[in-house]
Amino acid sequence: MTLTGMKKHVDVLEQAGLVTTEKVGRVRTCRLGLRGLQEEAEWIEGYRQLWSARFDELDKVVENLKRKERVDGRKKRK
Amino acid sequence: MDERRESEAARAKNHGTVERRSERELVVTRTVNGPARLVFEAWTKADLFRRWWVPRSYGLTLLSCEMDVRVGGGYRLVFSHQDSTMEFFGRYLEVTPHSRLVWTNEEGDAGMTVTTVTFDEIAGRTLVAVHDLYPSKEALDAASGSTGAMPEALDQLDELLVSLGSTTTK
Repeated sequence: MTLTGMKKHVDVLEQAGLVTTEKVGRVRTCRLGLRGLQEEAEWIEGYRQLWSARFDELDKVVENLKRKERVDGRKKRK
Repeated sequence: MDERRESEAARAKNHGTVERRSERELVVTRTVNGPARLVFEAWTKADLFRRWWVPRSYGLTLLSCEMDVRVGGGYRLVFSHQDSTMEFFGRYLEVTPHSRLVWTNEEGDAGMTVTTVTFDEIAGRTLVAVHDLYPSKEALDAASGSTGAMPEALDQLDELLVSLGSTTTK
C-alpha cells in the first residue's frame, strides 16, 4: 500500500470517527477512537456492570449488619 | 422532586439504573434491602466500605482505605494493579447521617468530579442514588475512554493500525 493510499484509508476511518490521528513531526499516530453512540453504549454497560457488582457486594454487607443487629438485640434482651 | 424520587424508586426496585443525565452527569440508582442507617454505615466505615467497593473481577488489590468522614475530612484509596499502584483521593463536602454524602474526586488531572450519594429509606429498604458531576463534558468523555472496556476485536484493529503506521513511516 502506498503512503497516499494509506493516508486516504486513514482519512476515511477518521471521518467515520473510528480513529483519531495526531501528527508529531513527520509521524502521524493513529489511535482507535470510536467516538459516538456505540462507544458510549459500551462504556455505560461497563459502568453498569461495575455498579451492579458493587451493589451485589453491598447487599451482602448490609445483610450481615442486619443479622448482627438481630443477634445483638437478642443478647441484650437476655 | 417527590415525583421524580418515586419514579426512580419504581425503576430501581430490583435492578437499578445507570443514566447519563447530561453532558457532565452520570446517575446510578439501586435499592438496597435494609434501613438507611445500615446502608449509610457501609458507605462511611472504611472496614465495611472496602468489602464491597472494588469488584473482585477487576483484579485490583485494595492496599489501604482511609476515610475521615466529616465535612472537610479526606479519604484515600490505594490500589495495586499488576506492578503499579493507583490512588483515589478527595474530601467530604457534606456528611448528613443516613441521608446524604458529598465528596470530591481529586485524582483526575482534568478538574474535580463531585460525587453526591443520597439514601432514601422506603419501608425498610433504601434507595441509593449516586450522582457524579464531572467538571466538563470532555472530562466525562475522557473517563469513559479509559475504562478498558474495548472489545477484543477493536484491540486487534488497534494493533493492526499501529503496525500499518510503523510500516508507512519507514
